[in-house]
Amino acid sequence: MTGYFIRRLLLVVPTFIGITLAVFVVMHFVPGGPIERQLMAYKMAVATEGGAGGGMIGGGAELPPAALEELRRFYGFDKPLHTRYLTWLWNVVRLDLGTSYVYQDPVWEVIRTRFPVSIFLGLTGFLLSYLVCIPLGVLKAIHHHSKFDFLSSFVVFLGYSVPGWALGTALLVLFGGGSFWNVFPLGGFRPSNWELLSIGEKIVGQLHHMFLPVVCYMVGSFATLTILTKNSLLENLGQDYVRTAFAKGLSERRVIFVHSLRNSLIPLATGLGQVFGLVLAGSFLIERVFNIDGMGYLGYTSILQRDYPVALGILVIGSLLMLVGNILSDMIYAAIDPRIRFR
Amino acid sequence: MTATQPLLQIRGLRTHFSTESGVAKAVDGLDLDVRPGEVLGLVGESGSGKSVTALSILRLIPDPPGHIAAGEIWFQGRDLLTLSWRDIRRIRGKEISMIFQEPMTSLNPVFTIGRQVMEMILTHEPATSRDQARSRSIQILTEVGIPDPATRMDQYPHELSGGMRQRVMIAIALVLNPSLLIADEPTTALDVTIQAQILDLMLELKARRAGGAILLITHNLAVVAETCDRVAVMYGGKIQEVAPVRDLYRNPLHPYTRGLLASLPRVDGERATRLTTIPGSVPDIHNMPTGCKFSTRCAERFEPCDSIEPPLVEVAPDHLVRCHLHEAPPGTPAHQPASAHDV
Repeated sequence: MTGYFIRRLLLVVPTFIGITLAVFVVMHFVPGGPIERQLMAYKMAVATEGGAGGGMIGGGAELPPAALEELRRFYGFDKPLHTRYLTWLWNVVRLDLGTSYVYQDPVWEVIRTRFPVSIFLGLTGFLLSYLVCIPLGVLKAIHHHSKFDFLSSFVVFLGYSVPGWALGTALLVLFGGGSFWNVFPLGGFRPSNWELLSIGEKIVGQLHHMFLPVVCYMVGSFATLTILTKNSLLENLGQDYVRTAFAKGLSERRVIFVHSLRNSLIPLATGLGQVFGLVLAGSFLIERVFNIDGMGYLGYTSILQRDYPVALGILVIGSLLMLVGNILSDMIYAAIDPRIRFR
Repeated sequence: MTATQPLLQIRGLRTHFSTESGVAKAVDGLDLDVRPGEVLGLVGESGSGKSVTALSILRLIPDPPGHIAAGEIWFQGRDLLTLSWRDIRRIRGKEISMIFQEPMTSLNPVFTIGRQVMEMILTHEPATSRDQARSRSIQILTEVGIPDPATRMDQYPHELSGGMRQRVMIAIALVLNPSLLIADEPTTALDVTIQAQILDLMLELKARRAGGAILLITHNLAVVAETCDRVAVMYGGKIQEVAPVRDLYRNPLHPYTRGLLASLPRVDGERATRLTTIPGSVPDIHNMPTGCKFSTRCAERFEPCDSIEPPLVEVAPDHLVRCHLHEAPPGTPAHQPASAHDV
């Protein structure tokens, strides 16, 4: 099985090259690159100056060819596409993701500052959904067809069908001050006086600010996980080995929580491999609603502003984490289900 | 009737299932004794209520949809049907244990063989140390003929063949020396050669344990002839005939029993072109005949059969039959179970 995982790890390399090459090429052909943006900015500036000064006839402003050439060299567009890709790839291998066009900072720094937001949103959402959904699914399976079962299904599916950002707007109107209750702050990732707070105040402040965004972020994920747990457990409770366990004189609790649950969690545990990917978790719309400067917002603006190094940097980290996460999922799968053997 | 007190006395057992098309009376007034040390065969067609009877004894009927509507099951001076769940759990596995038809699915796939055998010991004898439980498990696995039991202890069910798994099931069932083993079609899912081995093994282990009885549920009359001391023939949720195995084969009284025996291919008899069959099929469980349950298929049906259900009477020593053709000899009362707790 070790051989299998070594092969899987080696396969990461061509997959990674494939993903990045495809994105690199697409970006090359998308109109509105950094040079065009610079030119636009230049024209705008000239036009404004001209309007103010009144001396020049507007519209005829063109960058001198030498300056244009200079710009192209600055962004590396003077070289052919394949050279640029290979240079970029070589830099990535040396752990250099380049410098952001927009922020003029190393890409790694730009992305890294968003990690806390992602980890809070992603990890809290992830842990909470497992902590809530597994017990809820178990309860629903034990009390199958009860009032509680129907009611909780209604609630989780309601959450599933409401978009997180729409819920966010509603929650802000209700709880973010204004016309109703002033319980939670209107937005932001942390209290604005963060540096002045003590540890305890920091924890409380952080939770206070993150509560609504986290609720919105994970409201849709409850249904899948809960229903998966419930159905998986229900299916296992009908298996022959459960009857054997009862016939051995085991308590109902032991049969459910030791024998059945262990089997029911197999499909759920495979999702654990993606836990690494959570450092990049983000949702542009939810971040916008709550005015948080997170990964979703960064990714979205980097594409709009043609900040290629940042967009590619997020892609590099995201795809590597996903590829490794898939392998990790398989490892977890093999570890918890003795019948699974990879060759 | 023999003078010895039966090990298990079932009186007037009714196990019903609620279905969409009404109440299915799978077991509908069943009387049966299991005597200490005997092998009692319970035979009947699919749907006659054999397995439901077996599951009812240990109260393993899935509820809903099933429930035990009436009856008494006396074991060691206690009515199993009135025991608390806590008390019935103490009986399961320790006093009465059970093996099932499907060895492939009756063991929990994610736990090792050793853990599943040891669980039986540790559940009922919690004072046992893990080392003791392990050595006792290895001991019983050796007794059921599993080669290299110490290695098998750490293997998972999927690493064993069907025959080996059924041996493990027998090991689990017998490790605590129960006084009754209920075997529900234990060989049906196995190869013919393995079937004989498993039956021999059960008889051999029984012989080593004084007083232990086996209730063998099967639809295979050849198996009954080889292994049982007495046979009970079941049809329509009721016992139709009970007799020592030789009596039953030599002198079957109930038309259904005669039909069953006639449908067996014989090596020594004349070679018929076709096997004899019982015409018709088992009546719809929702719509049982009011009189004799077999009346719809009986060639010897006469006037009272359609309307009056015949009682189970002892027509010869130790030979009971439920048929209007065989009334009790004058002077003997209809079969009345000796106990006061009869329905």
